[in-house]
Parts: sequence; structure tokens; C-alpha cells
Amino acid sequence: MSEERVAEVLAAHAEELLGRPGAMQEIHVTKVERERLAPLFRLAERIQQDMQPVQPSADFVRSLGKELVGGAKRQIALTKRLRRAALIGAAAIGSILSIASVIGAIVFVIARLRARSQAQTAHAPTG
Amino acid sequence: MCDESDSALIARAKEDPEAFGLLYERYVKSIYNYIYYRTSNHHDAEDLTARTFYRALKHIPRYVDRGAPFSAWLYRIAHNVVANWHRDRNRRQMIALDNLVLKSPHREGPIATVEKREEHEQLLQAVRRLAPDRQQLLFLKFIEEMKNAEIAEVMGRTEGAIKSLYHRTLVALRADEELIKAEMVDGRSSNREASDE
Repeated sequence: MSEERVAEVLAAHAEELLGRPGAMQEIHVTKVERERLAPLFRLAERIQQDMQPVQPSADFVRSLGKELVGGAKRQIALTKRLRRAALIGAAAIGSILSIASVIGAIVFVIARLRARSQAQTAHAPTG
Repeated sequence: MCDESDSALIARAKEDPEAFGLLYERYVKSIYNYIYYRTSNHHDAEDLTARTFYRALKHIPRYVDRGAPFSAWLYRIAHNVVANWHRDRNRRQMIALDNLVLKSPHREGPIATVEKREEHEQLLQAVRRLAPDRQQLLFLKFIEEMKNAEIAEVMGRTEGAIKSLYHRTLVALRADEELIKAEMVDGRSSNREASDE
């Protein structure tokens, strides 16, 4: 029996264990295959019997749920505050830059005007 | 229980704390069970479940929905939390209280019950000795009762790979059990020899 076939048969057996009948029939598992894989089938049956879901205590579930929702509230509030601070910061930087550029433009124009008037005075005929 | 999809709740959880609460309610039992079967005691299972969800809460603003189930992300967090716990525990060498309770003589009933309990414990211990991905596979199959296709989605593998992993897991478990049985037989015979002397 190839490894692929063994894996296929074991998977079908597990499906049947979990209440999905007909899975072994669908892939035509023979009597010989059943006999050969019987020890692994038994092991799978024991695992299924022994691995049962456990229940966390209701108090634990409730109190952790409350703590997490509280934590989520704080986290969202902090994110909003940081976002607002970043927005205000960006706006402040933007306005400072625009004021600086206006001042820079004024200084530039004044400087050019002053340079032009100085040049005119220098070239003006004397006497 | 709410009918809203995981994706919708995740999107809402970035702005609405109650949405994270709903995701928690949806997955707390699965994550608790997963951790319980990997730690073998309720106290640590509670502690690590809390750590898993706190970590999920911290990272959910950056969660990107790539089509994989949300549970896969949670299991990955739980897996990392448990792996860290095992690493720390190996340094400290602690004995789980639940194991002591199970082996307590006050709980022993008729011989058959004790033998059954021992067998049950041995099998669970053998499961805990398996590689983490094999433990996860058995957990998803037998506790969560997922189909191979669903397990494949959660574990990020193909359905064929899951079937093959299941096969290898059963073979490894059987080999482990046979080894333990052989060791027990050896132990008994050497005890008998010692008492004869």
C-alpha cells in the first residue's frame, strides 16, 4: 500500500470517527487495508476518546473579557489622541512653513529692490 | 452570539472596543482548549490565554486580512506564547499541579479505572511530546472537529499535506507508545531481578 493511500484511508477513518459516515466507503477501503491499518485505527479511536474539549471557568472568561474590552477602549482612545496630536503637529508645521515662506519671499523682494536702487545710485551721473 | 463575519468585526475592532470583545467571545474557548492541551493544567492555560488575547489586542490595529481565517492568526499567537512558556519552564523545571492531582492516590478507584486513567494520561503525555504542528493537527481534528480542508487553511498547508501529516503523527505516536511500553517492561524485569537478589 502506498503512503498516499495509507494517508487517504486514515483521513477517511478520522472523518467517520467525527460523525461523517461513508467516507471509507467512498474511497473503497478493502478488507485487507482495514486489517493492515487496524492498529492505527484503534490509536485514532483512543485519541478521539481521550482528547475531549475542556471548559474554561465562566468567571475567568467573563473577567478576561471585561479586562480586554477595557484595554481596547484605552488603546483606541490612545490611538485617537496620537492621531489628533499628529494632525495638530502637521498643521502647525505646515503653518510655520507657510509663514516662513511668506517672510522669505518678502525678504527676497526687499533685498532685490534694495540692490536695484543701490545699482541705480551707483550708475547715476555725478555733478 | 453575533452573526457578523470575522472580517467585519476585525475592521470594526480598530475603532470599537465591543467588536474586539465579540471576537474574544467567539474564540476564547478554542484558544483555551488549544493551550490547555499543550500545557496540561488549567492555571497556566488561563494565564497563557490571557497573554494571547492581550497580544492580539495590541496587534489588531496592524492586522491585514489576507483571506486566511482569523483563528489561524490567533493560533499562531497562542503557539508563540506557549513556546515561550515551555522555554521558560524548562529553565525552571516546574511540575504541573493538575498532573499531581491526577496521580493522587485519593482519586484512585477500582483497578480498572486506575489503569484506564493511566492509559489516558500516557496517551496525552505522548501527544504532548509530539512536534507542535502535530499537536495542533490532532487538536484541530479531534477537539475542534474541523475537516481536513479547514485544518489546511488554519495551518497554511494543502489538504494532501494535512492527510500525510496525520498519517505520520499516528505512526510517531504508536512508535512512542511502544517505546514506553518496552521501557516499562524493562523496568519491571530489572526491579524483579533486584528484589530476587
